[in-house]
Amino acid sequence: MGSVFSLRQRAAFLLLVASAVGCALAVFAYVTPLTGVNGSLGALIVIGACVALAIGAFGLAFVEHGVWHILLWVLLLFGLIGTAVAGLFLHRWWIAVALGVGLIGLVIDLTLFRRPARNRREERSA
Amino acid sequence: MTRHIATLCLCAGLLSGSAGLSQTPDPLVPKTATWDSFHGQLNAQKYSPLDQITADNVGTLTKAWDVHTGDMSDGTGDLPATVWSATPIFANETLYIGTPFYRILALDPATGAERWSFDTKSTLKALTQPALKNRGVAYWQAKDPVAGEACQKIVYIGTMDAQLFAVDADNGKPCTGFGTDGILDVNQWNKTNDKWPLSLLQPPTVVGDHLILGWAGDDWTFEQAPPGTVFSLNARTGALEWTFDTLPASMRKTSGTANVWTQMSADAGLGLVYLPVSSPSPNFWGGNRTEEAPYATSTTALDIETGKVVWSRQWVHHDIWDYDINSAPTLIDITVDGKAIPALIQATKQGFLFVVNRKTGADVWPIEERPVPGGDGTVQGEVYAKTQPFPTKPAPLLDQSVKPKVWAIADAVGFGSCSRLWSKLRYEGMYTPPTTAGEGAMAYPDSAGAVQWGGVAFDPVSQTAVVNTSHIVQYVKLYDRKAYESANNGSGNESGFSPQTGAPYGMRLEVARNWLGMPCWEAPYGELVALDMHTGDVKWRVPVGASQQYGFFMPESWGSPTIGGPAVTAGGVVFIGASMDAKLRAYALASGKELWEDQAMAPAVANPAVYAYKGREYVAFVAGGNTILKDQVGDQVVAYRLPQ
Repeated sequence: MGSVFSLRQRAAFLLLVASAVGCALAVFAYVTPLTGVNGSLGALIVIGACVALAIGAFGLAFVEHGVWHILLWVLLLFGLIGTAVAGLFLHRWWIAVALGVGLIGLVIDLTLFRRPARNRREERSA
Repeated sequence: MTRHIATLCLCAGLLSGSAGLSQTPDPLVPKTATWDSFHGQLNAQKYSPLDQITADNVGTLTKAWDVHTGDMSDGTGDLPATVWSATPIFANETLYIGTPFYRILALDPATGAERWSFDTKSTLKALTQPALKNRGVAYWQAKDPVAGEACQKIVYIGTMDAQLFAVDADNGKPCTGFGTDGILDVNQWNKTNDKWPLSLLQPPTVVGDHLILGWAGDDWTFEQAPPGTVFSLNARTGALEWTFDTLPASMRKTSGTANVWTQMSADAGLGLVYLPVSSPSPNFWGGNRTEEAPYATSTTALDIETGKVVWSRQWVHHDIWDYDINSAPTLIDITVDGKAIPALIQATKQGFLFVVNRKTGADVWPIEERPVPGGDGTVQGEVYAKTQPFPTKPAPLLDQSVKPKVWAIADAVGFGSCSRLWSKLRYEGMYTPPTTAGEGAMAYPDSAGAVQWGGVAFDPVSQTAVVNTSHIVQYVKLYDRKAYESANNGSGNESGFSPQTGAPYGMRLEVARNWLGMPCWEAPYGELVALDMHTGDVKWRVPVGASQQYGFFMPESWGSPTIGGPAVTAGGVVFIGASMDAKLRAYALASGKELWEDQAMAPAVANPAVYAYKGREYVAFVAGGNTILKDQVGDQVVAYRLPQ
């Protein structure tokens, strides 16, 4: 029995899950004593950015329109890279790893988005 | 350079100076591990002969215990923020700590369990400082303790409102024979320009049966302030023995301060106590104090018994940069060109290490008087010093002779604001006078100093000195009274502005940063430096810690500004906190290689303490934070040891 979600949507969900994991790691760093960044503005920024990425990933799964999809994709790419770098500067390496996984989802979305519409329809009905 | 050596006729007395002291002289290569004062030992070497923890095994250090005192405020509530720079002291088989709420804690050295505590119930108001501050406690014990008699061992703590408390080290009960029921009101001697209390933030220096006491005040606020008197008190009773006035009588009313607010060091064998004396008030304009004040911004050696000056060296003439001498001189025995010299190292805010004979004050390596810039004609009433002392060795810890380079990235992020600022700042070396022109004069090193109260640590065996240094660029601008009121109106706070009330000029002091808070100058921002004191040459120099902004760590190669200082051990290890990233670190004394680190609650802005208890070596840090470094406060005391 085939999935109700397309491959592209599953890629977006990978990004969503990665962002959620990044968010959880950042929250942990923010609230846990002796992380070196607990209570810091930087950790709060990363939490906010991860939430924004998760929302964006959700949107990516359902925004079909080409221009809006591309715009969202570009914003997510910059957001991912920026947040991962911020995670690195917080010395929270696992945040960067999580967002690296999210980047895989974003790349998958790109490869699928560039394929002809006919193929995507086939994927959806698979 | 005898012009600036105020050597009085006490040298004969010096040779017999230890007479009457209850304490035997400290050997400068100690046989026993002592950490019973702010800098570990009276000689301020911050050196422990313990060698259980070595450069080879320090990487396996584990946390033995940590304690949160609860005495902490971030300033957002009813209480001012806390600044806690205490070094734990180990004495009487107990670890004693003072807190910024002016409590004494006596802890079990192996577990951190509280044995007793004493609450001064002092007012928790920032009467003279922007924060509640404490740099710990002092300890005294009778030479021949009488069994069963109270207060044969005493712990002392001072308060912001100038009360000195003495409690029994065994049980924390007040020593009723000291002052009035265990409390001495030091403010009773605050008679001239008593605009604020003589805040006792630094514990007294205990030398024999004497408590040598300085105090802290409210810098930058007033032209005229309490003058910098140092007190010697009887350790048992608090009775006043002698006083020493750092300012000439003619200047005591018109100026003020030149106080001793940091730890002193002492050589009980020579009978000398060494005072690091701060600058007179107001700090950035000296038109009210144009005559000679030879003990201001100096290292001054006093006879412990009489308080008379034996020698004095002034390190900044007519100080208008707030270049207080801010750390205890480190007493060292060194061999230079085959000759044994009883010396001392005086680190300074300027990043100089002045090395002189501690008996006489004479140069070890030549200290030259060199011409320095005069004013630009915008400041009325000022009389500038024509020369300042420069040591020929060791080399300065940072290059203060030329304007630091603008950091291109910060400049780009700031849309050129850094380079524009640089073009409006006058700088002809660190002794460029403050001005009303442009954005003012660059202050580099900054007013907090290239070296702070942690001072210089010294390994007497290898004759290696270790010191941490900060590279911070500030700029200072003077405003005539009318311009000051205008500039300061509407700002909503006093950030950067200080009135110097009574003087014709207020002032503004800022760190040179772009809109994002990035420093406008290039890294490194802090280093740890080791020097071979046989030669005065640098052995190694490494970035220390990591700078942190909004929680983001900068590359470790940039280093961090530091407040606090190192401790060294016979195990070949240098311990230090001090950095913005609130990490505690160990370095190899031989190479400067980082060997261990752990995260603390806040920057550890004092020296660590090294002690042995029941056969095991410990290193303890207080992580209390300091707003000069970063807006992060802590109440953590943490100790480490090797695994069983």
